[in-house]
Amino acid sequence: MRIELDVELKDKPGQLIKALEPISRLGGNLISVIHLRETLTKRGRVPVHIIVSLENLETLETLLTELEANDIWVAKVDEVRRKKRLTILLIGHVVDTDIRDTIDRLNNISGVLVADMSLSMPHPEKETSALMDIEISKPDKLALALDELELIAREKGLTLVKSLEI
Amino acid sequence: MRINLVGFGVIGKGFAKTLIMKQDWLKSRYGFEPRVVSISDLSGTLVNPGGIDLSATLETVNRTGRIIDCSGASGMQSLDAIRGVEADLMVEVTPTNVVTGEPGLSHMLTAMDAGKHVVTSNKGPLALAYKKLKAASEKKGVQFKFESSAGGAMPLINLANEVLSGDEIISIKGILNGTTNFILTKMTKEGTDFETTLKEAQELGIAETDPSYDISGSDTASKLVILTNAILGREATYSDVSVQGITKITPEAIALAKEEGFVIKLIGEVEDGRLSVAPQLVPENHPLNVDGTLNVASFTTDLAGDVTIVGRGAGAIETNSAILSDILSIYRGVAGR
Repeated sequence: MRIELDVELKDKPGQLIKALEPISRLGGNLISVIHLRETLTKRGRVPVHIIVSLENLETLETLLTELEANDIWVAKVDEVRRKKRLTILLIGHVVDTDIRDTIDRLNNISGVLVADMSLSMPHPEKETSALMDIEISKPDKLALALDELELIAREKGLTLVKSLEI
Repeated sequence: MRINLVGFGVIGKGFAKTLIMKQDWLKSRYGFEPRVVSISDLSGTLVNPGGIDLSATLETVNRTGRIIDCSGASGMQSLDAIRGVEADLMVEVTPTNVVTGEPGLSHMLTAMDAGKHVVTSNKGPLALAYKKLKAASEKKGVQFKFESSAGGAMPLINLANEVLSGDEIISIKGILNGTTNFILTKMTKEGTDFETTLKEAQELGIAETDPSYDISGSDTASKLVILTNAILGREATYSDVSVQGITKITPEAIALAKEEGFVIKLIGEVEDGRLSVAPQLVPENHPLNVDGTLNVASFTTDLAGDVTIVGRGAGAIETNSAILSDILSIYRGVAGR
């Protein structure tokens, strides 16, 4: 089966090979790779258009999982937009105000998933920062996720920093 | 063209210097010979219907700090000068006040009532009472221009309303305050905390002794209101803006953002009718990522796509670039040039 993938790579060396390696390992046949080095996405990533021949749908699912695990974002599969990524920062007593609850409340919205989070805690008494990558797989849930984030920030006295291009 | 100059602080003195500097050029290029017939500050007013000697006035005021000390000056108050000293146009550059808009608001309404065109860099009255000012200028058939009030030297209002007049402007976003941009840039480059960086900025004279107006986001909010009204044709006021400043930003937050390819910038934005000022994550390679005290604004338009302009948002001479362009636009309109 012939599949077209639109993926987004981090803008640093060695990323394209990370995207292509799983394809060959899973027995896929590369038909075309267009590496749009000069037109970065709004989030500063390098878009790559890949056409590949894969054995079956199962191989495709395995490939998608492996790509995402390598921090390669799959924006579209056969022109169907998969997920939107939302990056946000929370500053304040993020951990002490029940971080589990913060994550659960977001994950409880169907189509919304906290996919990654980095914490920086200079000192237990001081304010913590948390950078979250949130996957939105249903476009209409973006506004809901943002509303919930704003509510959480207000309730817990945290500062919410959204990203410019949503 | 005869001018009442009201306010003789940094911008007012910059206006006098600009006219001295550009005198010959303005005459040869446009046949334009502006005459400042009155200068008022809090201490009083200097009047000369034949044109004030700007060099001598600057020399005295640089020494004493007051107009009243200039030879021939009187204790005449600014409002009396605006009413009583005949002129075609008033340049209003008194300090801004976002709570009452005064004394700028009364100066402007009085000048318009007296049939004078008004050019100003004063944000307060515009952010509070734009509708009233616009109505007053239309009633009296005078021009009201304020390019320098938002974005300093960057020609934002004229760019949108004149050059891009065939486009519909869908959204405006940008960095409209140089002080906060300087602080955030320095925190990003040096990993310092907010308080330390603010002190450094104060020592360098980039932040004011009382920096609250800048760091709370109020200055950005005022400018956003001005741009929204002038460019999107709205009648927004300061209270319509959701405002969040930069005081809560930590070096750790900046470092985390950097790992993911973002910087944190204080962004003023109007989109879908909502006005907001807040720190936002901006991709490092995004056109709005400008450093230091620079300002930047981006319009999203229906035909031209995104149009972005970067420039100096403050400074005595830079601000007067915009004031002079407003005056010339009025002059050329009146003179039919």
